[in-house]
Amino acid sequence: MTADPSQSAVEPIMTVRGLSKWFDDFQALDDISLDVNRSEVLCLIGPSGSGKSTLLRCLNFLERYQAGEVRKEGRLIGWQEGSASPRKPLRPAALREQRRHIGMVFQQFNLWPHFTARQNVAEALIQVQRLGRDEAYSRAEAALDKVNLGDKANNYPSGLSGGQQQRVAIARAIAMEPDIMLFDEPTSALDPELVGEVLAVMKQMAAEGMTMVVVTHEMGFAAHVADRVGFLESGRLVTCRPPADIFGSEPSDPRLRSFLQTYRERNVV
Amino acid sequence: MDFSFDVILRNMPYLLAGARWTLVLSLTGISLSVVLGVFICAARISAKGLLRRAAAVYISAFRGIPLLVQLLLFYYLLPEIGLDLPALAAAILAIGMCSAAYVAEILRGALQSIPAGQTEAAEALGIPPVALWRRILVPQALRLGLPSLVNELILLVKVSSLASVVGIGELTRVAQNITGQTYRPLEIYLAAAAVYFVINFTLSQLGRMAERRLRLD
Amino acid sequence: MKYDLFLRYGPALLRGFGVSLLCWIVGSLGGALLGFVIACLYRWSAWPVRWILQAYIEVIRGTPFMIQLFVLYYGGPYAGLVLSPIQSGIVSFVVYGSPYFAEIFRSGFEAIPKGQLEAARAIGIGEFAILRRIMLPQMMVLITAPLTNFVIILSKETAILSVVTVPELLYETQTMAAETFTFVEPFLALSLFYWLLVVVTAELGRRVETYAMRHLRRSASAT
Ligand SMILES: Nc1ncnc2c1ncn2[C@@H]1O[C@H](COP(=O)(O)OP(=O)(O)OP(=O)(O)O)[C@@H](O)[C@H]1O
Ligand SMILES: [Mg+2]
Repeated sequence: MTADPSQSAVEPIMTVRGLSKWFDDFQALDDISLDVNRSEVLCLIGPSGSGKSTLLRCLNFLERYQAGEVRKEGRLIGWQEGSASPRKPLRPAALREQRRHIGMVFQQFNLWPHFTARQNVAEALIQVQRLGRDEAYSRAEAALDKVNLGDKANNYPSGLSGGQQQRVAIARAIAMEPDIMLFDEPTSALDPELVGEVLAVMKQMAAEGMTMVVVTHEMGFAAHVADRVGFLESGRLVTCRPPADIFGSEPSDPRLRSFLQTYRERNVV
Repeated sequence: MDFSFDVILRNMPYLLAGARWTLVLSLTGISLSVVLGVFICAARISAKGLLRRAAAVYISAFRGIPLLVQLLLFYYLLPEIGLDLPALAAAILAIGMCSAAYVAEILRGALQSIPAGQTEAAEALGIPPVALWRRILVPQALRLGLPSLVNELILLVKVSSLASVVGIGELTRVAQNITGQTYRPLEIYLAAAAVYFVINFTLSQLGRMAERRLRLD
Repeated sequence: MKYDLFLRYGPALLRGFGVSLLCWIVGSLGGALLGFVIACLYRWSAWPVRWILQAYIEVIRGTPFMIQLFVLYYGGPYAGLVLSPIQSGIVSFVVYGSPYFAEIFRSGFEAIPKGQLEAARAIGIGEFAILRRIMLPQMMVLITAPLTNFVIILSKETAILSVVTVPELLYETQTMAAETFTFVEPFLALSLFYWLLVVVTAELGRRVETYAMRHLRRSASAT
């Protein structure tokens, strides 16, 4: 399961080069370079405020990055190719075309409360892929089946548990058949007993070969499902290696060591 | 003093006929103001500075000038610039455009209570702005703003009485006409007040019912 | 622009503006006072009184100001109540505004935590002193904005008084328009008058609000 990135056969679907991001004067991301390989599960860990969400949100241009490049299958994300600095953002329609192939799942689910589960999943199929209502609904139901919610299609979000809501949000993203899925702490807003059902769905997706970038505090998931784990600290990608190297023997990097140390202490108590 | 219920009973059919026009004025007024209000609200929160300022001026102007003055302006001023509107159209336009300023602010408040994450989710899926507004933001804003919108409608039922000044035969105007013939202002105006009250009471009950039915839990 | 017309009608317009201001200010003060009394009665009396007050509030809020004005001005004499146009304007203003003011005060009362009142009673402070020294100062912070809002709404309703020939601003403007066959200039001037009034009142309201909030700011900076 652990793919070795040093092997040359792997092909990156997404490449990040020299990515930097400022909020006014504050630098949230500092010169990040990273490849995401096809069918790989890449987990991002790190202390709060280290820039994990910001990095993830740069990957689909929900945040504008000022320096560096994010490319998916060779195409620059968000900015017009070859435009001089200051770079020009893509036209909205072109940006939307890029985003529809990048799925995203949020910590707070962000379901639309006035739509049923089925409508939540079908909406983008209708508005973006221009499917007819019937076809959109049947594809929505198929996606809901995948996340084991086939029987909840008619529920409104308020009638679903947190774990179920998050699975609807996952179904909403996979119904678009994205090339890559981004998860921002998908289980952090959930009660502990609901975390498992969401992780199980994500594990299933990984087994089916979905490319996934997952920001998470679930070290168990990172250790067992990820192909590689990236550790962020103060906007810098400190290291990005197979989980065995991160969690196995005592890590050489002192910052990673102290992060894992505090994490273990917190979870023992 | 001799209070005569008989006068009221005999003239009630005319008052009710006038009340129909009161309803026409206020219902078309609120429809116009909701449609206009959505656009003004969109302009008010748009990223374009010019649109934002224009919307702010609109809101400030229509809320700062008495509706009766606006009504007279529409009625007398528009013909002077070559737009000869029938009185009914002028009244509906004045009521709707003034109310739109308030509706825009109601909707803005409602929109602000929709979590930004819902918009981000739509953007991440590539849903275009028009669909985002039409399918996700506006329906929710109307739902959240429903109690205020019903209040606005009740307000319009009341302010539509001003249309009597430009000769629209709505409830107040009819009451004036009847008074002119019967010399029974106390009875007739009290009766008109009762009709207004019944309309507004019914509307507020309907509003409460709709609110309960639209709740999502 | 026909400036000479404004010179000729200026005094009348100013007098009209004065009458508008008079009706507005006296009407607002009276309405606020009546509303306050209603809110207090509502708070400190038993259900039959409450029921009557609630009915009063609903009825007044459910009917147009113009109809209320007509009942008083045209209907009043038939019930033995003969008022001049200005008098009936002011009285109907007081009546019309009172339920809205009452609701604002009521929401203010309800916002004060019960524990504070119990604490005051426990150390023997009288009910009136509680109202004046504890409730009102805190309420002011919350109710200044809605009060300003409503007073602004009332300022615009003064225009309606022209319908019963109160010689207020709109009435004088219409007179001028009719006598001189000019419409645009007087009405634009009138709109400007009202708009200014609204802007100035809104600013005043903001100042009062800042003043009412001074204890909150001090305690915030002290911690
Ligand atoms: N919109 C913003 N404006 C200003 N600063 C921001 C903004 N968003 C994030 N930041 C800052 O950027 C830094 C990185 O934030 P980010 O949300 O990416 O952290 P994170 O690693 O996801 O943390 P957490 O684990 O708490 O979610 C933080 O210091 C944060 O305060
Ligand atoms: Mg985060």
